[in-house]
Amino acid sequence: MLALDVPPDTFSYMLAGYIVIFGVMAIYLISLVIRHRNLNQDLETLEELEDKEKKV
Amino acid sequence: MKAPNPLGQELKPQVPVVELDIQPVERVTLSPVSAFFRTMIAVLWKDLAAERRSREMLSAMLVFALLVILIFNFALELDATAQADVTSGVLWVTFAFAGTLGLNRSMAIEKDRGCLDGLLLAPVDRSAIYFGKVLGNLVFIWIVAAIVLPVYSVLYNMNLFNPGLLLVILLGSVGYVAVGTLLSAMSVQTRTRDVLLPILLFPVVIPVLVAAVKASSGYLQGLEFSDIQPWLNLLVVYDVIFTAVAFMVFDYVVEE
Amino acid sequence: MVKQPRGLTILNYVTLGLMVLATAMVFLYAPEEAVMGQVQRVFYFHVSSAWVGMLGFIVAAVTSVIFLRTGDHKWDLVSLGAIEIGMIFSFITIVSGSIWARPIWNAWWTWDPRLTTATIMELIYAAYLMLRQGVDDPERKARFGSVYAIIGVISVPLTFFSIRFLRTIHPVVFGGADPNATGNFDMTPKMLQTFMFSLLTFSVLFADLLWHRIRLGKLADRVETLKLKISQ
Repeated sequence: MLALDVPPDTFSYMLAGYIVIFGVMAIYLISLVIRHRNLNQDLETLEELEDKEKKV
Repeated sequence: MKAPNPLGQELKPQVPVVELDIQPVERVTLSPVSAFFRTMIAVLWKDLAAERRSREMLSAMLVFALLVILIFNFALELDATAQADVTSGVLWVTFAFAGTLGLNRSMAIEKDRGCLDGLLLAPVDRSAIYFGKVLGNLVFIWIVAAIVLPVYSVLYNMNLFNPGLLLVILLGSVGYVAVGTLLSAMSVQTRTRDVLLPILLFPVVIPVLVAAVKASSGYLQGLEFSDIQPWLNLLVVYDVIFTAVAFMVFDYVVEE
Repeated sequence: MVKQPRGLTILNYVTLGLMVLATAMVFLYAPEEAVMGQVQRVFYFHVSSAWVGMLGFIVAAVTSVIFLRTGDHKWDLVSLGAIEIGMIFSFITIVSGSIWARPIWNAWWTWDPRLTTATIMELIYAAYLMLRQGVDDPERKARFGSVYAIIGVISVPLTFFSIRFLRTIHPVVFGGADPNATGNFDMTPKMLQTFMFSLLTFSVLFADLLWHRIRLGKLADRVETLKLKISQ
């Protein structure tokens, strides 16, 4: 191993690594939020339908 | 009131009424152990007998295995001096793929013909059914091996009748079939069926493949036993662990 | 819409705080590594992600066993959530590991035991989800998932050892890189502290995400039940 005075410049790789780490986590969080919202909408719609059926 | 038939005759009951003199019979109760074995052998025998009549599964597995070897010949440009490492690899890939064919077929037959439901109605330990299927699958894979080995030996001028190699095939096939039978029992009940089994099986059976290839290659190269032993140990450990786990979990896979 | 339980809201804030702190430690507190340079900083969150990947699997296996024994559906919800989260973080592990490897070993992939096992784990995760998708009956879906999770988890240590033993006797040689490279480096105290703190943070993150995912699962169940009720 060469004894380097200055460590190699691997900054861009570190950046790429962290973009992936935070990026994927963010995508997952967003997917959770979207799925939650969709399900809540579905629930509202279904509850309305249920009420209508009860009235009928 | 007896309903008259079209000819105007009264229908008489066809069954003669007989007075039965029923004596209490000494019931011979089978010990659970012997019931277990009888069920297991019965399941095995059923599979062997069915296969003997139709020969569908074996011929499919065999032709497939030979085709795989053929494809490898061109893909890897194997020549008559194919090295031990490559030979082991090709053999085990062949077994792995042909094996999924057999596993799929074996379970599909149960499901499609309703045999599985019939077996499940019987008051026997479910795991006896599991072991019966495992034994059946093992026999089929061994038959394929018994034919593939000489063919490969001839094609590549290698003597594959190495007792060590046979031992590895024994240990490896047990692990593969133990897990494969359990997983095929699940995959056959899904919509995606045949396609799903390799997806479920291969990631989980990698220790068997790694150890079997290394051990086979070791025996073919004539390495020291001490070099081969760790791989055999791994195979035995895998076999024991997974046979035990599969046997414990099988109930949950077939309950209705 | 059911409101978040207070405990979860608190956990959200705690998680966020820890993440901010851990990130600060990684970039500001931990020193630059001499041999690898800045890319080494990826290590902290890369290993923590691997830890969460494994944690997901272990939690799923345990709750699978409990589900099979008790038949209580709630445990299956936990299994599914744990697997999903484990899958995401295993993916993060693999990709960040690959990015880390590139400048160090001049190769995007190294077939080393840890990375390879992580990939196999990812495939088992995917197979689990595909198995569940292929079954319509919800009770059977849960049972099959549980069985496969148990089989999968037990196979992972065996897989790891088999590959590791394979590599010790056949070291991988690629490019001009050191065939025995394992990515090891000496950790100074500050690095060790950053590392341990990252592990802690990610564990809390796992718990937080799992709670959210379980709530999502319960909501999905309610919708399904209501759908069935109305269609009758």
